[in-house]
This record gives sequence, structure tokens and C-alpha cells, in this order.
Amino acid sequence: MAGAGGGGCPAGGNDLQWCFSQVKGAVDEDVAEADVISTVEFSHSGDLLATGDKGGRVVIFQREQENKSRPHSRGEYNVYSTFQSHEPEFDYLKSLEIEEKINKIRWLPRQSAARFLLSTNDDLRINLWHLEITDRSFNIVDIKPANMEELTEVITAAEFHPHQCNVLVYSSSKGTIRLCDMRSSALCDRHSKFFEEPEDPSSRSFFSEIISSVSDVKFSHSGRYMMTRDYLSVKVWDLNMESRPVETHQVHEYLRSKLCSLYENDCIFDKFECCWNGCDSAIMTGSYNNFFRMFDRTTWRDVTLEASRENSKPRASLKPRRVCAGGKRKKDEVSVDSLDFSKKILHTAWHPAENIIAVAATNNLYIFQDKAN
Amino acid sequence: MEFKLEAHRIVSISLGKIYNSRVQRGGIKLHKNLLVSLVLRSARQVYLSDPCPGLYLTGHPGAPALPQQPGESVAGPPAGWGEPPPPAACAAWPEPEPQMELPAVPEVPREGDAEPAATVTGAGDTLQGGEAEAAEAAWRRVEGLRETAVGGAGVPAGGSDVFPQGPGAARRPCGCPPGDEDKMSASPRVDGCRTPRPAGPEPPVPPPVCPRKRGAEGVGGGPADCPAPGSTPLKKPRRNSEEQPGGAAAGAAAEEEEEMETGNVANLISIFGSSFSGLLRKSPGGGREEAEGEKSGPEAAEPGQICCDKPVLRDINSWSTAIVAF
Repeated sequence: MAGAGGGGCPAGGNDLQWCFSQVKGAVDEDVAEADVISTVEFSHSGDLLATGDKGGRVVIFQREQENKSRPHSRGEYNVYSTFQSHEPEFDYLKSLEIEEKINKIRWLPRQSAARFLLSTNDDLRINLWHLEITDRSFNIVDIKPANMEELTEVITAAEFHPHQCNVLVYSSSKGTIRLCDMRSSALCDRHSKFFEEPEDPSSRSFFSEIISSVSDVKFSHSGRYMMTRDYLSVKVWDLNMESRPVETHQVHEYLRSKLCSLYENDCIFDKFECCWNGCDSAIMTGSYNNFFRMFDRTTWRDVTLEASRENSKPRASLKPRRVCAGGKRKKDEVSVDSLDFSKKILHTAWHPAENIIAVAATNNLYIFQDKAN
Repeated sequence: MEFKLEAHRIVSISLGKIYNSRVQRGGIKLHKNLLVSLVLRSARQVYLSDPCPGLYLTGHPGAPALPQQPGESVAGPPAGWGEPPPPAACAAWPEPEPQMELPAVPEVPREGDAEPAATVTGAGDTLQGGEAEAAEAAWRRVEGLRETAVGGAGVPAGGSDVFPQGPGAARRPCGCPPGDEDKMSASPRVDGCRTPRPAGPEPPVPPPVCPRKRGAEGVGGGPADCPAPGSTPLKKPRRNSEEQPGGAAAGAAAEEEEEMETGNVANLISIFGSSFSGLLRKSPGGGREEAEGEKSGPEAAEPGQICCDKPVLRDINSWSTAIVAF
């Protein structure tokens, strides 16, 4: 699984030296809400990189071909296309404003047997769309109770299995994950598998439910594992074991004592995403203060890096950052109380085959590469 | 007791979030509101199940009758209140929801507020069975009352002005700064409520604390912002003279702390109508999150003094009402 040197799969996240490559976006201190990036996704080949923002715009970057005369600009991403995807709508009947924010972008495989795609923006339903039938969809999951006052959980994320096109998972606000097989029934209201880790009673608090809500779920490329992100940790699950995850990685455990303040300033509701590297040996997720974290699953080492304009010189190496949770702060450490909670990295993406990562920091998109690349 | 204070604070924050969700762009976010309601329920459980004597409003045999008039003396609670709660009882998380006997809330009904009183009773009946249902139903009724009170005029716009959320709140550094009771007017709370300007000796009738409110505070009150003393429909005019806790220093610090917390809650209450007017006056100061590493606020330092304060006890009855209603 480490894939050292094998078939296009470079070593995992921590043996590498990450370097700044590019940054896209304005430098203004005052960020317009519409410019906040809300999703980042590499295409299946990695040659295209798409971002969506809260203003409903999509920007697609294309990787430049290798240029012998400019060896250092190997594979830069430049704007290929940009368009307004969604406009704000108003539902007059319900007096509801429908946001134009882009929640998720998914690339369709170019040649694929998969002719279906999921739409999962709804809290309560998952619909299945046939690519050629655009005026209606199939509802495959519906957790809306007859009486809305009995609602206890909502769907938070969903994804198709990468290889078995009939299998999908969806996560809930209660921290559970259900795996469904569409072959067993048309309406997947009964799951095939149910993943839940028992709660640790010693860590119970007012906010236990909130921090256990799963904000993202991602299958590994192999299809054998899946990863879930909740507020404080990332968990790797073996699809064959429902009782507990096989790995738990703490993203920012030092925030556990700050949950009340984070509840007050709404940060506790932030929905962080997570991603796998191409060979599933490393995982990455974001944090606050424009920090993001990488975990190497083989060496069990982790690193904290920062996306900042200060470290934006071409090919400048990223220095690992450390957060001081208490006690004496060492030099170069950042204390928990000085973290900037308005600078959050919610969306990250890892190139499917190479060690190139895209990190969305509010309205800026940072691209980092491995030095060896 | 610390749990209770923290629970109180969390309840008030949660109420603010629920209100904000109704006026923010994009409509009500189901997921967030669901999570907030879970927190509210947890905090309420802790708050109502805390067996600290004097604060238990369920007709617990040991608890004194709540004073209906500010002039009444408070005898029983102070001694018991000052003691730390038995760790096993208060510190334990209430796993099964305790079978509560909800208080009758005689002072809640005000003129024109018969509805919320019914709400409370009804909510109590369904408490065990369907908390979310009760909360949602109570929420709808309270909302209806609010809209009635303001004549349905332009409240959402005003609301969003009052409770700015989003980037402004998010940029606030995490963790309440240790001395933020001193900066209460400069640093608005996350939901943007300005704390009320302490008007020296407080007027007999609590003024609505947020001038940007759309007159929701006084049903039939006087001027939109500040009902003239005596002009509100409140049955319990506040008498300030008996209300100062013993000890000038403790009182002043406690008042500041309470003002900050009161402001938060008071704005919410003024929105929801004068049925919760008991909370417009001093409430127990917000508890500090114990793990934040700062020394306890003044109210914790002098728990006996603050919590035996008459308006606090009076407020708690209404507070419990508010909790039950939600």
C-alpha cells in the first residue's frame, strides 16, 4: 500500500518536501462573500482542476503541458474556462431564497460505464439521475419523517463506490454511515451496512452530537476503505468492519476544550472535507489559521502545513507548523488562542496520480507540489 | 453549579442562533438548526436536572416558594446555594431525561400573552415524548406572538441588523477574552446583541435593551424603544432598591457580568414578547467555560451572593419557562 516508486504512485505525504507552486485569487484583505471558494476538485486525469464559489461561479484550470524551454513551469495550472453556473433564486411560494453557492463539483469519467450521477445537496433525500434523462430523477434514499418534528438526523454527505456502481454510502449528522446497494431494492431505506463508532462516555459534552456529525465521506481509490471527517478527527473505515474505524487521526484535538466558544462563533458548524492521495497511503484535511494536515497511513506520521501569502515564493518549501496547546510556547509554535478562526481551509484536493495538491483558503486557491516532482 | 451556569449560557446562545436562522440569507438551514436544538436540549437537561437547592423550580420540597414580589425576602436558598453541588449528582450527565414536574408559571402570562403560557404548559406535557415536537410547536407559537407584537412589520430586516452573523462573527477570535465583561459594549456577542447600557439605578420597568428591535418588547408599551416606566403590561415592576447583592464590589462586578449575559438573552426575550420579561432584568451571569483556563468570573467567585439575589430567583422561574417552551 505504500507504493514507493510503483506505477506512478509516489510515496506518501510525509516523505515529501511540499513546495509552493501557485496561488490564484485576489489578495484583498476584504473578501467578498461571493468569492469564497466552496468546492475544489481535480478531474480523473488530474489535468483539470475545478473550483466553485459562493457566488455560483465555476472556474476550471488546465494544466500546462511540459515546456522544455521553461522546465520550472512544469505543469502550471492556468484558467481554462470560467462561467456562471448558478444564479440566486427565490421561491416565492415558500419565501425561501435559494443560494447560488456551488456545493460540490464532480467530474464525470470520460469513458465510463457509469451513466448515473447522484445529487445529494438535499438534507433528507438522495436522488439518482440518468445522464440522458434530465427532467426527472429516481429517489433512492429518503429519510424525511412523516412528521418533521420527529426529525433526528439529516444526510450530510454521500458518494458512489469508485468501482461498484450500484453501491453508495451516505453519512449522517449523528456520525453514522450507511452503505446501500441499489441492487437490493429501489429505495435504499434499508442499508446493507451500518458504520458507527460507540461514543466514549468520558468525553461527553454539550457538543458531543455536533462534533460527531460527519461533514465529509470519501471512498479510497481502491474502494476498500472509506474516510469520514467529523469536527475534530478523520477516521478511516474498512468496509468490512462496521463496528469501529480502523484508524482515527486527530486533526486539532486542542480545540476540544474550546468547543463552547466555537459553538458561540459558529465555527463548530464548519464542514471540513478530506481527501486521499492517489495510492491511498496518505490523507489530507483542513483546519483553522489556514493550516492543513496530512497523515501518512503507513508511517503514521502527520504534518501541519500552512497556506499563506508569506510562503508564496516560487518553489519555496513549506515549513511544518506546530500548534502549542498549552504550557510554554516554543519558538515558531502558534498558540491555540492566537489561531485565526476566520481563516479556515474547508476544501482540499489531491491530484489522482501525482503529489500535487490544491488547497482553498477562503478566496484563494493554493497549489503545492512535491519538490521532487 | 458551574454546569448550570454554562448550561444557562449555552441555552441563551442557542436561542439566538435559532432566531438568526430565520432571518439569514438562504433560509433556515435544517442541519444546523437540528444540531442547535440538540445542544439546547442537552443544556436544558443539565439546567433543569441540576439538583442544586434553590434553583430547582419543580416544587421540590426543599426549595422555597419563589418570590412573586421583589419585596419578599429570600430566606432559604442562599445557604444551600453557596455550597458546591454534590459532584455525583450535578456533574453526571443526565442520561435518561429526568421526570420533571414542570412549574406552573403564574407570572408568565401578561396582558396579551395568554398564548405563551399555554405554550409552556403544553410543551411540558409533551416534554417526555417529543422534545423536538414541543420545541418546534412552541417556537411557532412564540414566533406568532412576536409577529403579532411587532405588527409583522419588517422584522426580518431588523433582525438581521440586530444579529449580524457570518463573517463578522467568524472573524472573532475564538475563546471569550478573559475580561470581556469590560468590553461588553465594544465587542458585541456573536449574535451581535449590544449589551444594554446600565442606566445606573435600574428603572422599575426594564427597558428593551436593543433599540434596533421593532417594538416587540412592549405589548401596548409606550415609545418603540423605551417604554416609559410603568407603561408596560408587566405585572411585576422591578424594584431596584432591594436587588443589589451584598457587597458593593461583588455587586458591581456581578452586575456587569449579568448585564452582558442579560443583554444577550434580553434581546431575544424582547423579540419573543414580554412573556419573558422576567429575563430582561438581571439573570445569573454567564458561566465561563471551565477549560478556557481563565479564572472564574466574578459571579462564580461570589455565588452565594449573586444567586440569592431576588431578581435572579424570579428570573429563574421565567428562565425555566423559556427553556421549557423551547
